[in-house]
Amino acid sequence: MKRIGLSAVALTIGLAAAWPAAAQEKPDALGLGIFTFTSGPAAAYGMPGKNAADLMIEQINAKGGIGGVPVSATYVDEAQGAQGVIAEYRRLAADAKNQVMVAALSSANCLALAPIAEQLEIPTVGWNCDTHQLLTDGKSKYVFRPNGNTVPEFIAYAIYLLDRKPDVKTVAIINPDYAFGHDAATIFKAALKALKPDVEVVAELYPKLGSPNYQTEISRLTTAHPDVVFSNLWGGDLENFVRQASPRGLFRSSQVILALGETVLQRVDLPEGVIVGVLGDGWWMSPDAKANPETAAFVAAYKARFGEYPVFPSIKMANTLIYVKAAYQAAMQKNGGKWPTRAEIAEAMKASKVATLTGTTETRADNDGLVDQIVGVTVKSPDHPFPVIGQMVRYKGDKLMPQAGQDPIGWISTLTPEFAKSLPKPGSYK
Amino acid sequence: MRTILAAAGILVIAALPLVAPWLQFVLTLAVAKGFAALGVAVLLRAGLISIGHAMFFAASAYGVTFLARLGVNDFAVLLAVSVLAAAAVGAIVGSFLVRYRAIFFAMLNLAVSMVFYALCAKLYGVTGGTDGMPVPIPTIFGISLGEAAFKQVLFYVSLMLIVIVGAAVHRYLDSPLGHALSAVHTNEIRLEYLGIPVWAVLLIAYVISAALAGLGGAIAGFAIGRVVPDFAFWTASGHLVLVAVLGGIGGVPGAFIGAFFLELLHSAAVTVTDAWNLVVGAALIIVIMFLPRGFYGFFEREKASAL
Repeated sequence: MKRIGLSAVALTIGLAAAWPAAAQEKPDALGLGIFTFTSGPAAAYGMPGKNAADLMIEQINAKGGIGGVPVSATYVDEAQGAQGVIAEYRRLAADAKNQVMVAALSSANCLALAPIAEQLEIPTVGWNCDTHQLLTDGKSKYVFRPNGNTVPEFIAYAIYLLDRKPDVKTVAIINPDYAFGHDAATIFKAALKALKPDVEVVAELYPKLGSPNYQTEISRLTTAHPDVVFSNLWGGDLENFVRQASPRGLFRSSQVILALGETVLQRVDLPEGVIVGVLGDGWWMSPDAKANPETAAFVAAYKARFGEYPVFPSIKMANTLIYVKAAYQAAMQKNGGKWPTRAEIAEAMKASKVATLTGTTETRADNDGLVDQIVGVTVKSPDHPFPVIGQMVRYKGDKLMPQAGQDPIGWISTLTPEFAKSLPKPGSYK
Repeated sequence: MRTILAAAGILVIAALPLVAPWLQFVLTLAVAKGFAALGVAVLLRAGLISIGHAMFFAASAYGVTFLARLGVNDFAVLLAVSVLAAAAVGAIVGSFLVRYRAIFFAMLNLAVSMVFYALCAKLYGVTGGTDGMPVPIPTIFGISLGEAAFKQVLFYVSLMLIVIVGAAVHRYLDSPLGHALSAVHTNEIRLEYLGIPVWAVLLIAYVISAALAGLGGAIAGFAIGRVVPDFAFWTASGHLVLVAVLGGIGGVPGAFIGAFFLELLHSAAVTVTDAWNLVVGAALIIVIMFLPRGFYGFFEREKASAL
């Protein structure tokens, strides 16, 4: 009798404890809308991101999902243009199951989605878009970008270049003809002007996005004979450019900087000594990445599944998903293990500091992310048939970012050669 | 009979967002493209294909953002002025383009629109380049609404505009000026001998069609909240021709039927597969093969049997 009474009490207590937990039902799946290019020329950049998302979500689910809830992603093709992307965003947002949007790759799409994210109050995490215009007003409540922006990404190249080639006199620029290319040129030129005012820009070329033929541009570049050629071409454009410029000796006559060069290391034969980087810290062979067993496992699984090592867009996507997962964990910790609402997730993203596969990302007051910048040059590797990045430097993320709300270009003009001297030197990161 | 059908169609569309709120955006966009396609259809009556009407669509959307930048913040004023701007661009471009026929007309429209596209993309400091410019939420007769409420008002206002503008265009097409368009198509020289100035007939049609495209562009700009040069790209122009042909050029509702069909098909296809282009393309081939007069062909036949 006593036993029965005890168990009855235990049952009641158990039920009472279980009751509120049952009331904050966990959903059967956590929906994520993931926006990337899965068709068209930009898929060269978007597919590595999608692959990484597939793999990362599989790994998260293998470990029991997020807070015990499996993740299921709906992919949206950004190649439909802003109208289709917005329509899909709204459709996914209408389903309460989809709590977070990982959007987007293209800066234009991020800019178009940002006001809608604020209106619909859905945490939206930019996984790749990096225009410095996105979060300038500092009023964003639901738009986050753990990935960092164009300002530190391209200043880093100017600083690295001046360390490696202090006597540079002339620079030529060849960037794709859209906002990303023009922004990068503006930032790179402004940084050079501040750090070494006597550098002269002898040519600025903006070939159309998706050009198959760069012969005219290469002729212009070789006749201008600049000390340095800077480019943020990417995807198929970059592969074409490298294939056409190599035989014409551009890489011998000038120091070439390929800001997105890491993405083609495994695909085209880049000569040694080209300055390349990853627009952030997402280099899978960086010392920090190698020291992280989780990263090693991810890279091995990626290589086994897709036949190629990850490129930095893959790492950016993987890091973004880690960021989302960390936000859920933080939100659930804060509210006592309940399943978080969209607002609580956004709250947890604010001012967060998350350890990623390749470093940390710190979300500051304007929701922009502080990530380190890794830059280096191509070197031959005994372990791989393709060149890897050597002579690396890792600039701290906060050093290269203007304060929240500051005009970025105005801030760049205040940089001094002394500031550049205070930063780590090429080869210091090993 | 057809009026009842059209009224029922509009009521169904008006009610759809109550069931699926996200559809409101898709449908607003469909209305916008419907207006632009109607503009294309007006010229198609005269046998003139314009592969450049996205220019007027974009011109008006950019007009909204420029006006907003100058401090104009009233929905009705923004809408009216930007449509007038598109019409003005139409009058300038049209005054020399309507002298051409057939492939020359199509190609010159394409050329002019691509010049416009290039300007939008290249004049970085003025138009924001490929990242475009934001379209702010305007006030409606002095009342400032939240974004969600404004989008709702926009949707129902554009549905009302279908009725009002649609009726006006119907009257126009049924007037001597409208019938002169088909006459241009069949025998232009006879028209001149009858004393009807073909140039003026076509210029009026061109300006009306530019204004219609502009109305669509302004609505799209408000709905999307951002204007990008892609609005004016030639594929967007091609899309408008497609919508017009798909819906059928026999009557005003055709353009809207085509636009609703294509937008909803697109929305459905992207949820199914990455190869959404393939689904859309296949559906178009089927429609063009089996409904040569477009969807509107259904209703035309019904009219014939009723007589």
